[in-house]
Amino acid sequence: MSELPLLPTTAVGSYPKPPYLLEARRKHLRNQIGKAELTELERRATREWIQIQEELGMDLLVDGEQYRGDMVAYFADEMAGFAIAGLVRSYGNRYYPKPVVVGPVGRKAPVTVSWFKYTQSLTKKPVKGMLTGPYTIAEWSFNEHYPTRRELVLELARAIHDEVVDLERAGARYIQIDEPAIHTRPEEDFDLAREAMEIVTEGISAYTVTHICYGDVPKIYPAMLHLAVDQLDLALKNEEFALLETFRKAPFTKDIGLGVVDAHSHRVESVQEVADGIRRTLEVIPAEQVYVSPDCGLKTRTADETIGKLRVMVEGTKVVRSELLGAREGARA
Amino acid sequence: MALFLEDGVITTVVGNYPKIPDLPAPGKWRSAVEKFQKGQIDEAALRRVEDEVTVEAIRDQLEAGVDLITDGQIRWEDAQTHFARRLRGFHINGLQRYFDTNVYFREPVAEGEVGWAEPITVAEYTFARAHSTKPVKAVVTGPLTLGTLSRNTFYPTLREFVLALARALNGELRALAAAGAEVIQVDEPALCRHKQDYAVFADAMGVLTAGVRATLVLATYFGDLGGVYPQVLSLPFDIIGMDFVAGHRNWDVLSGAPFTKTLMFGILDARNTRVETPEEIVAAVRRISSTVPPERLQVAPSAGLEFLPHGVARRKLRALVEGVRTASEALKGARA
Repeated sequence: MSELPLLPTTAVGSYPKPPYLLEARRKHLRNQIGKAELTELERRATREWIQIQEELGMDLLVDGEQYRGDMVAYFADEMAGFAIAGLVRSYGNRYYPKPVVVGPVGRKAPVTVSWFKYTQSLTKKPVKGMLTGPYTIAEWSFNEHYPTRRELVLELARAIHDEVVDLERAGARYIQIDEPAIHTRPEEDFDLAREAMEIVTEGISAYTVTHICYGDVPKIYPAMLHLAVDQLDLALKNEEFALLETFRKAPFTKDIGLGVVDAHSHRVESVQEVADGIRRTLEVIPAEQVYVSPDCGLKTRTADETIGKLRVMVEGTKVVRSELLGAREGARA
Repeated sequence: MALFLEDGVITTVVGNYPKIPDLPAPGKWRSAVEKFQKGQIDEAALRRVEDEVTVEAIRDQLEAGVDLITDGQIRWEDAQTHFARRLRGFHINGLQRYFDTNVYFREPVAEGEVGWAEPITVAEYTFARAHSTKPVKAVVTGPLTLGTLSRNTFYPTLREFVLALARALNGELRALAAAGAEVIQVDEPALCRHKQDYAVFADAMGVLTAGVRATLVLATYFGDLGGVYPQVLSLPFDIIGMDFVAGHRNWDVLSGAPFTKTLMFGILDARNTRVETPEEIVAAVRRISSTVPPERLQVAPSAGLEFLPHGVARRKLRALVEGVRTASEALKGARA
């Protein structure tokens, strides 16, 4: 595997599912096709997304989560202690199946390892192992079993830690643990979320990332710099890079996954907009600490919007990358 | 209104209700929105589906036996933009988390002078009233909540922004009252998080309710009123709603001073699937009745029920009504 270039481009996790896969998932729900047939189509969709990412020239790839319905329900389905309560609304007309904790939670077997191995076998570029973090799984489930949120979160942290260990053994050099719910109760729970992340990544040598989005990031800054990961992946474009003002207040001491395209708008940004966003960021955070990504998972976008957004992300990054390399060449000359 | 002449505890709801049925039944509202977004149906067709789903939400509440209902807020994308899109002075930004929930709303941005332009919820209210055999409560998001969940790029201070919103929303309250709304609820969950702004809040409530002839409810949820109680008792409202689940501390808060208004007692956990037993409801009603007499008690969920899957919301309402009926009988027996 080659080393990553300056300003590596990557993605947060999910991509939209192609129509044939959506149809197959519907049929599978109605028991009209078997698991093997569905899995074959999930693999096909994964191959297609890997090929698209390679063609676009992205550096650190994701599997696109073609085999997941929802980032929390997927883990709940695969782990002990959960049932699915039903659909609840997230925003607009978007709903998700919300799990309910009905007993002691834990891993029955590795959850994501075989998908990681399959996806990595398709490409020479590095693929990220993708997990949902303990605080988010707990926060986005109903809890009918544990007396306190703390007990549930820490039990889940131990389970996700085991998954991280297994991913690393399977060859994952980049592992992302998504915690979009981490700032739900910043005063009350941030220390708990931090403690949970320490459990998750303890003893791990792989490069670790956590993705955090859509909430009061300024409220957990600079405390979030103490999370036990190498990179914080954040949504900047959603608020037109307003977070940069927050990062001016205390040095951003970790790597940043810089969200440069909005994952929840239909409009495809321009290359210029992406390049400007990165340039503004470089006034606050050194280029060596910056990875470039969309704001969030792209599964709610159409395939065309997704590819369009990824393309301008890569092209905009290339513009800034060559400016930087040119300037450095110039400085050496 | 007959409702308030009755001697005894009544049941009510805070506001929103699940818009789609449980799996595997298809959600007609959800597919209608999808078709509308793809240009396959027009706005009138979408509104008809919303009407149908509203009638179903009303029917669920009536069948459960709730005494004072809402229209379920089926037409609301969220409690902020439903108003901000129809007031003057706002545009709508990207997604933001709604308090400590996993629900997101598009952030309103005040970029000019805000003002009331036309009725926002009046047609919704009259539609619901025409389809209900029980009294219907109109609900309006309050100025502190709308103000603190919006981005203000126009007014120099929060006070000026919130007071401008209160003036604008006063237009809506007056329009509702003129349309015959006998009970109007103002939702202010933000009060639980912004107690330091109580002076602004109190002034805004005066502006908001000026000249409004109706029974007024102040609904608070997602926290307790410690620090602003008993001050809230002097606000121009007849009924005050408090959350005794997320705001469990409210039990202590109430012991600080006699509760002189009608209490909307939010006891049914609107944010967990575990369905309360009628016995639990009975115990809670008995406990609160030592502080607030039954004729000044409205028992309710702790917040809107849209945080729950549809079937759970319906089961919870039934448990609520059953528990309150049992408790009511016992309290009457005790008085006789």
